[in-house]
Amino acid sequence: MSQWVLSGLKAKIKTGIKTTRYPARPDRAPGVTPGLPVPRPVRSAHSGEGDAERIANRCPTGALDAREGRVDVDLRRCIHCFRCAREGSESMPWEGSYEWAAAVSPTAKLGHAFASSVHIRVVDAGDCGACLHEVKQLANPYYNLHRLGFFFTPTPRQADILLVVGPGTDQMREALTKTLTAMPTPRRVIAVGACALSGGVFGPSFACSEGIRSIVPVDIEVPGNPPPPLAILHALLVATGRAQSADSASRTRQLDAVERET
Amino acid sequence: MASAPLALSVPEEWSTRVRIRDDARGLQREIECRPEAVKPLCSWVIQTIGYAFAGLIVEEAGEWRLRYAFYSTEAPSAWIYIVAHAPHAQTRFSSITEVIHAADWHEREAEDLFGLVFEGHPRLGDFVLHDDAWQEGLAPMRKNFDGRRPPPLRMPNPDWRPRRIVSAPGAFGMPVGPVYSAVTESAHFLLETVGEDVIRALPRFFYKYRAVEKVAEGRRADDALLLAERINGLTAFAHGLAYAQALETIGGIEVPPRAATLRVFLAELERLRHHVGAIAELCESTALVVATSQAAILEEELLRLSGALTGHRYLFGLATAGGLTRDLPDAEVAAAAVRARDIVKRLDRLERRLVRTSSFLDRLEEVGIVTEAEARAFGLVGPIARASAVSRDLRAIQPYGAYRDYVFEVPREAEGDGYARLRVLFAEARQSLRLMIQALDRLATGPVRSADAAPIAGAALGWTEAPLGAAFHWVRVDEQGRILRYRIIPPSFVNWHAFHLAAEAFAFQDFPIILATFGLSVSENDR
Amino acid sequence: MIEQLGIGSFFALSVLGVVGALVTPQRRNPLLLAIVGTAASVALGVAAGSALFTPDTLSVALWSLPVGIRLRIGLDALSGLFLLITAVIYLVTSIFSAGYLRRYENHYSLRAFTVLYFGLFASIAAVLITRDVVSFLLAWELMAITSYLLVNYEFEREENIRAGYLMLAMGEAGTLAAAVALILLANAAGSLDFHAMHATTGLGPAARWAVFLLSLFGFGVKAGLVPFNSWLPRAHPVAPANVSALLSGVILNLGIYGIVRVNVDLLPVHLAGPGLVALVVGAVSAFVGILYATTENDTKGMLAHSSIENMGIVAVGLGAGFSFTAAGRPALAGIAFVAALYHLTNHSVYKALLFLGAGTVDWRAGTRDLDRLGGLIRLMPWTGLFFLVGSLSIAAMYPFSGFASEWLTLQGLLRGTELSSSVARLVFAFAGVTLALTAALAVTCFVKAFAMGFLGHTRSKAAESATEAPTSMLAPMGALAALSLLLGVMPTFVIPALSDTLGPLGDGSATQALVPAFYSAHPEAQLPRDFVAEFHDLGAQVGSGVIPGRGLVVLHRGGTENPVVFAMSTSYGLIVLIVLLAVTAGVVLLATRRRRVLRETRWDGGVRQLFPEMTYTATGFSNPVRVIFDAILRPRTVVDTEETVAQHFRVAIRRSQEPVHLVDRWVLNGLATQVVRGARLLARMHHGRVSAYVAYVLGTLIVLLAISAALAM
Repeated sequence: MSQWVLSGLKAKIKTGIKTTRYPARPDRAPGVTPGLPVPRPVRSAHSGEGDAERIANRCPTGALDAREGRVDVDLRRCIHCFRCAREGSESMPWEGSYEWAAAVSPTAKLGHAFASSVHIRVVDAGDCGACLHEVKQLANPYYNLHRLGFFFTPTPRQADILLVVGPGTDQMREALTKTLTAMPTPRRVIAVGACALSGGVFGPSFACSEGIRSIVPVDIEVPGNPPPPLAILHALLVATGRAQSADSASRTRQLDAVERET
Repeated sequence: MASAPLALSVPEEWSTRVRIRDDARGLQREIECRPEAVKPLCSWVIQTIGYAFAGLIVEEAGEWRLRYAFYSTEAPSAWIYIVAHAPHAQTRFSSITEVIHAADWHEREAEDLFGLVFEGHPRLGDFVLHDDAWQEGLAPMRKNFDGRRPPPLRMPNPDWRPRRIVSAPGAFGMPVGPVYSAVTESAHFLLETVGEDVIRALPRFFYKYRAVEKVAEGRRADDALLLAERINGLTAFAHGLAYAQALETIGGIEVPPRAATLRVFLAELERLRHHVGAIAELCESTALVVATSQAAILEEELLRLSGALTGHRYLFGLATAGGLTRDLPDAEVAAAAVRARDIVKRLDRLERRLVRTSSFLDRLEEVGIVTEAEARAFGLVGPIARASAVSRDLRAIQPYGAYRDYVFEVPREAEGDGYARLRVLFAEARQSLRLMIQALDRLATGPVRSADAAPIAGAALGWTEAPLGAAFHWVRVDEQGRILRYRIIPPSFVNWHAFHLAAEAFAFQDFPIILATFGLSVSENDR
Repeated sequence: MIEQLGIGSFFALSVLGVVGALVTPQRRNPLLLAIVGTAASVALGVAAGSALFTPDTLSVALWSLPVGIRLRIGLDALSGLFLLITAVIYLVTSIFSAGYLRRYENHYSLRAFTVLYFGLFASIAAVLITRDVVSFLLAWELMAITSYLLVNYEFEREENIRAGYLMLAMGEAGTLAAAVALILLANAAGSLDFHAMHATTGLGPAARWAVFLLSLFGFGVKAGLVPFNSWLPRAHPVAPANVSALLSGVILNLGIYGIVRVNVDLLPVHLAGPGLVALVVGAVSAFVGILYATTENDTKGMLAHSSIENMGIVAVGLGAGFSFTAAGRPALAGIAFVAALYHLTNHSVYKALLFLGAGTVDWRAGTRDLDRLGGLIRLMPWTGLFFLVGSLSIAAMYPFSGFASEWLTLQGLLRGTELSSSVARLVFAFAGVTLALTAALAVTCFVKAFAMGFLGHTRSKAAESATEAPTSMLAPMGALAALSLLLGVMPTFVIPALSDTLGPLGDGSATQALVPAFYSAHPEAQLPRDFVAEFHDLGAQVGSGVIPGRGLVVLHRGGTENPVVFAMSTSYGLIVLIVLLAVTAGVVLLATRRRRVLRETRWDGGVRQLFPEMTYTATGFSNPVRVIFDAILRPRTVVDTEETVAQHFRVAIRRSQEPVHLVDRWVLNGLATQVVRGARLLARMHHGRVSAYVAYVLGTLIVLLAISAALAM
């Protein structure tokens, strides 16, 4: 066994600490986030009034909304297909952020008793595997969520946060509600990923809901397909009051909101 | 695409009763027949011709078309489809599971989703649609079923009981899931046990049934690509590619050489990342913390590498019919290859340490064995088959895209146990790097996407060797380029079918390890 | 005087019971049994109590037979103890039977049951009061036969007949050995009177060994000691539950009584060896008994195996006593003997309680299979409570009775380190370790029994419709449960009574070591001299008045550097326990007084419905034990699978594990084969030819003549 201890120490000495400094400092390493489209005004003279609609129509899930010469983004629906960014002459700008989690209920924040030890039950309600995998990545040394007092727990009886990925399939409906009721109060629900927020490319259908809101009450929403680990981490920090919730407008990012920010 | 000329003739006695239609490009041979002839024909294809069963594709187009797909496992050669036509009123067909066990789940799925009864199949019903949640006979895949909203009537069977086959004094079923362990996909396992030793583990899937094949119908072909990518987010590129290739075959679209090369590069990058992740999970299942962390570091680095190179950590939104959605700068591809080489070097070091750790090997050796005979009977694919001495790799036996020109080996192990599967993962990761470097050398200049063409009606099969094994996407589109029928046969669907073979007569604490050595995706199976 | 009156009225009532049974109608028999049985038990209990708690003893010569045999009865404290236990168990069983026998109404003869019941009662009492070899053996045989008939009461079942037959056969072999042992003694003493045997001096070591081994085997069969136990786990479960209670609570004791009577009273052990033999036999019995009990799913079968375990613990105590006696340590020997008798008393109480509970469950829930029971606490709360008390007692859980006696036995074993012989120390250590393992398994076993029987889901239709038993059945169980608690928390009152039983036998006073007079009103001067010497030898005294009251502390003291060897007070402990429980309850209540208590269903992993067959069975619970001890248990496993359509459609996996008892495998089966082979050999001599028979007669005559000639010379 000692070879493992040695190799672990050796790697640490050789390459230094890999763990991100987030939330103390923003993490700008390449590839940590796929980013999100930014709303933009479309004022190009030569393409005329139809341009905004043309961009919006490229979106397969209706996340883009063209009105009055600008394109707004409903992040709940954005599935990172990049069609608005890569196709055609006009494109939507993307930004490499990850602090996307937005509190959507007035009581999204857990009490101060949960400041440094929070247990999370993750439920897969029909996820394609990507969101769940990004949740799992939180435990790798790059993100190491334990350092912030977050722990995954196998039993809902000890869980404070229910973290749901996937669009909420019909056959998981009962398991999902059972898990929530098995949790002690106070408890919060975090919906992770576009599918959990809006059904994504799957819902609504006879086998799939239009987001898990129709099954369990959601406190915090994390857009993205999949949201990168840092975005999920941000949601956990929001739940414990250690980070600012993204502006509620970020659910439906509108141009004026973005302009106000900048 | 394939292939050598097809040198086979249907036996004399059937020649009058079947109609043979060859594809102009020599890709496939359809043998059309009446439903009664399916069983002997299938048995002839398997036993005399030596083809492997790929899957059953049911189409409802005024009549029933039951398409049994077979592929050659030896030299690249045309596919054989046995297509049974039957009037729409007919719902009873004879089962072929007696001769091809791999068809078991295909028939069960068709029974649940189309309401077709396969006579002679011992265990129909309660498969995709759980009988304690839905009524039997719902048949949601039929055209007259509106898939956009729940049906008005819902009558779960109140007398449903879990099917148990073990009878031993004091035996009981230990339910695991669908919500179990810490961060896992939802599936249910009923461990039939008399306490510590589990006699058998019976999985119950489709908790995550999203009806991908149903919701795809009527969508535009390029929108359905988004579904293809999301049946298994971890191997999104391989599935997207298989789907895109099906569309390319229908439309006769040529893929530019640069795109073909980049596709190889990206597919192998994905395979490398997937296998590193699978190794991390395997280490985690044996509670080997340092190894888990080291493998997880490599995986995260590969995810970041993918993200920085393509914009998306899981390579979503790259594959498209006719090439790729965006070009990748040569310099970045080269840099990615260099980093991948470094990562594989560290992976090799990890392997060397792992095989020296006897406590780790003790947990894997002779655990979860699938024999070669079983692997063949169940038609297994991917690393699991290759760990059981069944060396099937579509990149080699039915090369697609640019793979025909690449040099690589198909790793193979004979024991069929957990350790063999781990060795196959490591070996394949190395081969993936080898392919990536070859792709880098061949990177030509030019476009990465062919010009959009007008949609053509038709149907075709696209296939790739996804990280988990052979992925088949069968697509039929109409003149407007909308999906009429989309059938996905993912590797996990094939391989989960054999999971109970590995999970028989084991100690309870080995269960997570057996699961991890299979490393399959539930999402892909459930669709 | 009280003794004579009590004994006399007891036998009169027994006869009344038998006669009454014959003249009253079947339907009324259970009531008669309860009334007369209660009266007889009280009469016997009074006589026994008087013998046990007063210095009086009884010794009467009944009549003399012309061949020089005098039939004597007598009643000393030792008999008194066993008689008192018998009376108590019979008392509660009689009341219990009034309700319980209703399940046999219209099917088996209740009249026959009553007759046999009183027959057995009388013969047990007779075994305990006879004071000569002939009447002792007669009473013993009567007891053996009536108990055999009672085991066979449900004679329509094949398994009962086989079990009863094995019980009879093994019992008779035992009786034969016991008879030889007694005759050896009588031969040396020149008299068949027990009284006369006391002074036997003329026996050499070989004869002493013979007497010890023969009595250990002869009486050990009745006590179910390994390896003479094969009959017990077969016979006890098949008998009606009230008879099972008697078999385990009373008749097993007779085996121990025999061993004690011969080896402590008639011919005290002076050799070092026998004690060690008893220790090994006891330790092995305890371990084998509990191992099979843990893996058994039949409630009564499990209790029967556990009886073997408990008799093993008693035998360990006796063995330790023999060894200490032989080593000249009377005080320690006294402790060991007291521990053995204490455990025997406790076992009678809680085992009777558990058998009555198991019988009630069997009747009400329709099965004895723990795999098919479950959840009964909601349907039969009182039975559940009493069964829990019994389980805690037998699992040696504080503050119930098993704890006190097992603790004492283990303490006695620990003193084995003071012996000089290294072999003896080794055997003591072996017995101690085995007993510790046994105690751990006993907890597993009875957690399983209670949890699988009374908690969780109900796993069969029959058990779902179970209802609580009538008060007439609950009250006896409640009385035994209360007694179990009392015996556990009042050891300082029990121990002196037990030590008195040994008093007349020589070294009973030594056991006062356990309840030292220093804390009592008695001044030191009243203690026997050798005991005081022993104590001074062991160490300095602790000042008096440390703990008030009549020594509620069981204490033994050792050398100067280790003044208190062991001490415990289950009585004070009870107070502490109550305070702790009250404080805990108070804290919980206080902490939750402002909080809403949510009651949710169990977490099942999100399945839509949790079925009873998805919960742990008794087999599953005890399977780890089965896996760990597989090398000892070696069950015969047969696995068989069934496929349909094609080889990969498996529709059934059948696995059966037939447990084969270790002793059956190693001893009984071989013995049975040899007996059959011998019988075949003899059968060959009987082929019906007259000439051959004439030759046999002639041959025998010649052999006899030769022997008499040799003797004459």
